[in-house]
Amino acid sequence: MEIAGAFDTFLNILGILIKMAVVIAIVMLHVAYATWFERKIIAHMQIRLGPMEVGWHGLLQPIADGVKLLFKEDIIPAKADRYVFMIAPLICFFAAMSSVVVVPFFGSFTLGPFEVSGVLANINIGILFILAMSSLGAYGVIMAGWASNSKYAFLGGLRSSAQVISYEIAMGLSLVGVMMLSGSMNLTTIVEAQAATGYKWYVVPQFIAFAVFCVSALAETNRTPFDLPEAESELVAGYFTEYSGFRFALFFLAEYLGMIIMASFGTICFLGGWQPVPGLGWLLPSGVWWFLVKVYALFFMYVWVRTTLPRYRYDQLMALGWKFLIPLALFNIFATGMWKVLFP
Amino acid sequence: MSEFLKKIFLVEIAQGMALTMKVWISALFDPFKKTNKTIVTRRYPKVPRYSEAGFRGLHALAKDESGKMKCVGCGMCAAMCPSQCIHIHTAEGPDFKKVVTSYRIEVLRCVYCALCVEACPYGAIVLTEHFEYSNYHREDFDYDMPRLLENWDKYMAGDKGRNYFEKFWLPKARMFSRTERAS
Repeated sequence: MEIAGAFDTFLNILGILIKMAVVIAIVMLHVAYATWFERKIIAHMQIRLGPMEVGWHGLLQPIADGVKLLFKEDIIPAKADRYVFMIAPLICFFAAMSSVVVVPFFGSFTLGPFEVSGVLANINIGILFILAMSSLGAYGVIMAGWASNSKYAFLGGLRSSAQVISYEIAMGLSLVGVMMLSGSMNLTTIVEAQAATGYKWYVVPQFIAFAVFCVSALAETNRTPFDLPEAESELVAGYFTEYSGFRFALFFLAEYLGMIIMASFGTICFLGGWQPVPGLGWLLPSGVWWFLVKVYALFFMYVWVRTTLPRYRYDQLMALGWKFLIPLALFNIFATGMWKVLFP
Repeated sequence: MSEFLKKIFLVEIAQGMALTMKVWISALFDPFKKTNKTIVTRRYPKVPRYSEAGFRGLHALAKDESGKMKCVGCGMCAAMCPSQCIHIHTAEGPDFKKVVTSYRIEVLRCVYCALCVEACPYGAIVLTEHFEYSNYHREDFDYDMPRLLENWDKYMAGDKGRNYFEKFWLPKARMFSRTERAS
């Protein structure tokens, strides 16, 4: 009895470890190829070819880039705050990486005697966890900006802190509508609640919230048109100006990881997660493929917006966040509440 | 009011997005095709580029039909050269004739104005259409006489060299010889 219990625990831990390894491998592969995907799409939209030389149509480019960054010299400026400088990219990266834990990729299925669930940690505060981790990433950015002892990095860090704080609110408020409709903060429950409704996707009743979410997701991940923290034309590279080698790569990975997580987050909360697109259920049953299709679509939106729009001015950024998105999100909460009361 | 509506519904942003999407769709399959319709990128070293006819590229010393160097060492080209990159040395040959002992062009200093080609009364120096002559050492761009003559064989052999002056220059060499015959 004792031994059987211990064996069960061992199997559980082993299963979790295998799942972690698989998820990390797949997610990191996605992050690497997100760069390729983005470069290709941007290139085509700007009537260029994009990466073509390394591998077939540049398919091995991310690997070449990774190898290059690994072998580059890791420079720490003499007047930098050494330890903070060294920790900052790790905070950024781990904050982004730990958000993956609560993202449900698919529902559960049974494999022999085991039940495999599509999420590493099925916690009840998934939404809060992702929001918390994305704001924790801002600490890494601010620390990098401070520790670099460079005015460009410092300005980038300051801008990032202001931006993330303002847009965190709008994003959190936009998700309140989803929480009200599903009655849960557990991401798996939210997806299942969506499947149970008549309209299948929360984007239908929550279209305002989805718009607010998309805009604030762009701002949260420091993407154009809200890329003020790393504005190339003004701040060289922003908060990671002084970084090189693999520390730079960690910031880069964190940024793309953030984008993928925001895309998955949007997919789960508004686009029905792993459920098939309404009307296309006959093509494929629900599963991770539908999740990926939606994530890629949202990621494509990110890139599309980046190619099209120029950067916002700083005061425009703040005005948009505080004077437009937050009132809009509040109105959405009110409207959702009225809806719930009037048509229970 | 319409301005306000435009702002609310992000009309301009939507127009911009539509434009980029249109370009993307038209460019999407271009990388797989032999000739690109939309994409303007040239894959230069892989797909070679050709210079236009009469392009002023690397220098060469012309040879006549019998394969002898046309240059007589008069030094007109060196005198005319604005960047002073032509260095000529002559000496007295065995039969009291002027012999060109060295003819050197510092190609890195050349501005490709082709004044030397215009100045030459014998049509002895030309600018070939060859333009890919990068090298690893500074000294390698110091073209001496054998290399310049070799350039003629390489890039101006046959009709190309024969018709070069007729095609691209008012053939001063011919005019010069005609006046000489008249006198």
